[in-house]
Amino acid sequence: MAKAIITDKLTKVFKDKTAVNAVDISVEENSLVALLGVNGAGKTTTIRMLSGLSKPTSGKATVMDLDVVSSAAQVKALTGISTQDTAVAQNLTVEENLRFMAQIYLDKTEVNSAVEEIISDFGLAQCRKKKAKLLSGGWQRRLSIAMAVIGKPRVLFLDEPTLGLDVLARRELWEEIERLKKNMTIVLTTHYMEEAQELADYIYIMIDGSIAASGTLDELEKQSGRKGLEDVFVSIARGEN
Amino acid sequence: MNRAIVFAKRNLIEMSRDTLSYIFCAAFPIVMLVIMSLVNESIPKQANMTIFRIDNLAGGIAIFGQTFVMLFTAIGVARDRNGSFLVRLYASPMKGRDFAVGYILPMLAVAIIQVVLAFGASVIVSLVTGDELKILGLIAATAAVLPSAMMFTAIGFLFGTLFNEKSAPGMCSVLISIGSFVGGIWFDVDGTGGVIADISRWTPFYYATKVARSAIHLEFTAENFLWPMAVVIICAGLITALACMAFSGKMRADLA
Ligand SMILES: Nc1ncnc2c1ncn2[C@@H]1O[C@H](COP(=O)(O)OP(=O)(O)OP(=O)(O)O)[C@@H](O)[C@H]1O
Ligand SMILES: [Mg+2]
Repeated sequence: MAKAIITDKLTKVFKDKTAVNAVDISVEENSLVALLGVNGAGKTTTIRMLSGLSKPTSGKATVMDLDVVSSAAQVKALTGISTQDTAVAQNLTVEENLRFMAQIYLDKTEVNSAVEEIISDFGLAQCRKKKAKLLSGGWQRRLSIAMAVIGKPRVLFLDEPTLGLDVLARRELWEEIERLKKNMTIVLTTHYMEEAQELADYIYIMIDGSIAASGTLDELEKQSGRKGLEDVFVSIARGEN
Repeated sequence: MNRAIVFAKRNLIEMSRDTLSYIFCAAFPIVMLVIMSLVNESIPKQANMTIFRIDNLAGGIAIFGQTFVMLFTAIGVARDRNGSFLVRLYASPMKGRDFAVGYILPMLAVAIIQVVLAFGASVIVSLVTGDELKILGLIAATAAVLPSAMMFTAIGFLFGTLFNEKSAPGMCSVLISIGSFVGGIWFDVDGTGGVIADISRWTPFYYATKVARSAIHLEFTAENFLWPMAVVIICAGLITALACMAFSGKMRADLA
């Protein structure tokens, strides 16, 4: 299987803090990888480096065989990111926000159909004429994710996508992510273990900037001798084995 | 699609949906125009003070209005930098140039609309007061104030880049007060002389106002129009270059 992402000792050092420490990950095309870890483990920093938002201090990373530093512009055109914080243009309507992103990424002829497709896929029809700032937090988040997808990225980074969503909205987003998985590679961070368990083909657990464990759920369960991702995670995060 | 234009459109929409921008960019300059015209009416003719007479006032108000374009440019840029929306655009194929053009272009459009409104109001004032105001002069001035519009927009871009959402409006207010004063919008610099006039002549605002007034008077002499215009164009160019460099620098630092 072709690899969508490969990193080689990817490292990010801020002044006095090694946020990401020699991380080696490899992500198969059209699979979904979950990046787990406690607050401050380095998940966001890793995603930022892979999406061209931050330069590695050392090490290497390629996305779709393109170096994230030397081919940053091409990488940016092929990737989409939904940041941990909601990122929408407040005074634009839902439709205008989507159209804006579509125009940034896509050919003129593709814009209209892409907007309609995303509006229907993300269930945004009833609020399409509403200004983003008038939406509830959860709906803004949904829009924010839709904006990351509309450019038809080959690789999609979702940094805590379901933060602040109600149970129903979360389920709907999971279903949408399952659908997206067929056409793109997804790297997802989350603090909800059931989410990773539900969606991920492969899981990386980060502690203090390093990969502490990795594998499919089955493999991680075998490694740690626990059942269920939550118990696996807790035992690894606490360094219990 | 041309990303700079797409971004410019977004910025124009954002601004057009903010009521405050109408109040400050359109209504406030016109209110000042009316107030100062009323002041002018109460100044005795023998005082020979013509600064608030509509043919002089119209040019001053045009520049005064542009200082608010500066303010709103700064607020828009600082607000974007504060939020995650800009991060999303940093992660897109947009380049530094797209951001600069996208921020500046819509504000120039706003500046043109604004000056047309202010001059329209000036025509009405002139009809009421009976003071002469040349329509041809107003048309010439609409074009002649474009370089200063560029200059003020660039200052706003620079301030929005350097300062955060909270401090940028404050810094702009300082410049609005000082600039409109030393720019000779509210008093006759050339007729005053002294230290204030010397200071004025060291600021581009003085020349911007002079360009606007001279154009309205159809007075295209070297001293009153061409040289002041050259100063404004050079300042506009320098500040624009500086603002673009500052923004690219900040962008690079954010992406480090
Ligand atoms: N720009 C920065 N300057 C200095 N330190 C930073 C910077 N960005 C992140 N850090 C530090 O790097 C570490 C990793 O942060 P990161 O945001 O990647 O964690 P995370 O795993 O995403 O956490 P969370 O689950 O809370 O989102 C933290 O200690 C953080 O304080
Ligand atoms: Mg994070």
